[in-house]
Amino acid sequence: MKPCLKFYLKTVLIAALFFLMSSCYSVRIVSTMGSPMPPDEMERDDWYRDKMVVEIDTVIKAGITTEGISFRVLREGCETGKLFSVEYKNTFGGSLLYLISFGNKRKVKLKYVCMKPEN
Amino acid sequence: MATTTVFNKTEWDTLHKNGPFPLKKLYITRLEGKANMPSTVGRYNDAALEIQRLLKDSRDNNEGFRAYGSRWSMSSIAHQHERVHQNNLMNLDLNIFPQDVHPQSPFEAENLYFFECGNTIKEISQKLEEHGKSLKTSGASNGQTIAGCISTGVHGSALDVGAVQDYVVGLNLIIGPNPDDNIYLERHTHPGLTDAFAQKLNAKVIRNDGLFNAALVGLGSFGFVHGVLLEAENLFLLKRYVRKIDKQIALELARTLDFKNSLFKIGGEVDEEGKPLRPHHYKVFMNPYTNESEYVVEVIYKKPYKLPYPDPFTKIQKSIYRDLIYLLIKISESFPSSIPWFIKRLENTILPAVNEETIGTLYETFWDAAYQGPSFACSVGVDIRDSVQALNVISAMTKNEGPIPGIFAMRFVKQSNATLAFTKFPITCMLEIDGVLWSKSNKLMSLEEYGRRMIEVLQQNNISFTLHWGKNSDWRFPGLVQNMYGENAKTWKKYRSSLLSKDMAKVFSNDFINTIGLSEYQENSPPGLIASLL
Repeated sequence: MKPCLKFYLKTVLIAALFFLMSSCYSVRIVSTMGSPMPPDEMERDDWYRDKMVVEIDTVIKAGITTEGISFRVLREGCETGKLFSVEYKNTFGGSLLYLISFGNKRKVKLKYVCMKPEN
Repeated sequence: MATTTVFNKTEWDTLHKNGPFPLKKLYITRLEGKANMPSTVGRYNDAALEIQRLLKDSRDNNEGFRAYGSRWSMSSIAHQHERVHQNNLMNLDLNIFPQDVHPQSPFEAENLYFFECGNTIKEISQKLEEHGKSLKTSGASNGQTIAGCISTGVHGSALDVGAVQDYVVGLNLIIGPNPDDNIYLERHTHPGLTDAFAQKLNAKVIRNDGLFNAALVGLGSFGFVHGVLLEAENLFLLKRYVRKIDKQIALELARTLDFKNSLFKIGGEVDEEGKPLRPHHYKVFMNPYTNESEYVVEVIYKKPYKLPYPDPFTKIQKSIYRDLIYLLIKISESFPSSIPWFIKRLENTILPAVNEETIGTLYETFWDAAYQGPSFACSVGVDIRDSVQALNVISAMTKNEGPIPGIFAMRFVKQSNATLAFTKFPITCMLEIDGVLWSKSNKLMSLEEYGRRMIEVLQQNNISFTLHWGKNSDWRFPGLVQNMYGENAKTWKKYRSSLLSKDMAKVFSNDFINTIGLSEYQENSPPGLIASLL
């Protein structure tokens, strides 16, 4: 392979990696009070390893007049109904879907952890 | 009724992924709902019956049973290969009224609080704060359960306070399935609660200093710790400073803790004569792979609780990509010489920010430590007078035979009365090496080998030492417990054998205590050894 082609490929790969990494990020809000609900079995290998986490990963169909979407915290995985943390993840695919569907399809990736019962 | 869910398993692991370890059954007990059983004492006693049912089943099936809370221990102390019990949903707290306090008790009724085993340090701190109270000390974080903390000797760096077990006044132990296997244990010289209170828990009272001290750091093997009576104190604030100071001054303080005559001074933290005050907490951080002339230290002073004070929490906390850490470790396994370079690059992420100053309660200062991937920690306890020598020999070994992907720190803890407390010296320096878990390669020794070398170099240099029960080491090292505790190890076994029946001693044993030789049962214990002395 020619050196200039090699350099070109490397640059493209690094740029693609940078683009994908920076367009896929998460933001988490965490309570400073209360304790997170522990999981039954510790199987994850991330921030949620010692927490019972509920994950929402879906695409919502929304009309052009839809401004906001609300999710309700259901009893399953959240017996206290009180939130300890919420994480929202933005993905490149999600942004692209929103754009090409003119806002009609909205990718939602959420994780939340509820409070441990106080007894 | 309290209910227990059974999970049939093949393996189990710690929070920091120091396993996996084999397992047959995992139990998780949940308390009866408040709506069905409004009485807190009723729910507590109901849970005790459920634990006794599980213990009977384990004994009848000739299988071991081990309780754990949050899986924070990195050694295998919380593991039992047959049955383990996760008790972190057993988090009741019982009110103590003045009439519940023993007439000869030296404790103030308002400072005594009774917590069920599965309450975490965080939960306890929040409950105490509602009463204007605080724990006296905690570990560097808050996720451990109270029973787990005291059973393994969790400590902070409160120079004149001690470890978590040192403010425990009473223990409610379930030692078997029979009605008289429910014990409420205190020191006879420092009683806490009345017999009437223990009767409310259906527990038999034993007041006996020797037995209490042995059961206190019980390694999960002295029965099921169902409840703990703690002595709290009035809420206080901690003013925390992070500074970079001359290495020789930092080490001289580690060796003497003589702050008054030290050259290290923080403006405002001085007495009337302008001499430095003795802090509540002192911690030194060291990168073993650099030869810097200054060390980062964390110094904390205790202040009266006074509102308002600025919010001690930083609003935004960033974390680095975990995959990046894994990648660095993989590289390290093939190219160990890159470790010092990586550690230097990550120093800002690992160490607290120099010149940082915060003020907050104990709860706010030693807050959540989120899981950040598989990690290890080795921690040896030495007399502060040996601290510098111990640091020198261990860091020299680490540099010469490693490197390993970790960073050093020193914390300081007042002596404990517990028979098997690793904080056994007048003031113990806990010399710790924390880092990212790695795999042995042909160029990098294993964690167990590193633990072994730590023991060997301390022995070769005639430095008396202990090891943190919940951390990594070569626990199979011959004669280890005898070397560390001598007569106290025999005393611990004697009390354990006196309190537990032979079959229940087997139920409460695990591979960890079998390995270190503490599960040995001693027949024909002296009569009266565990008699109630008050």
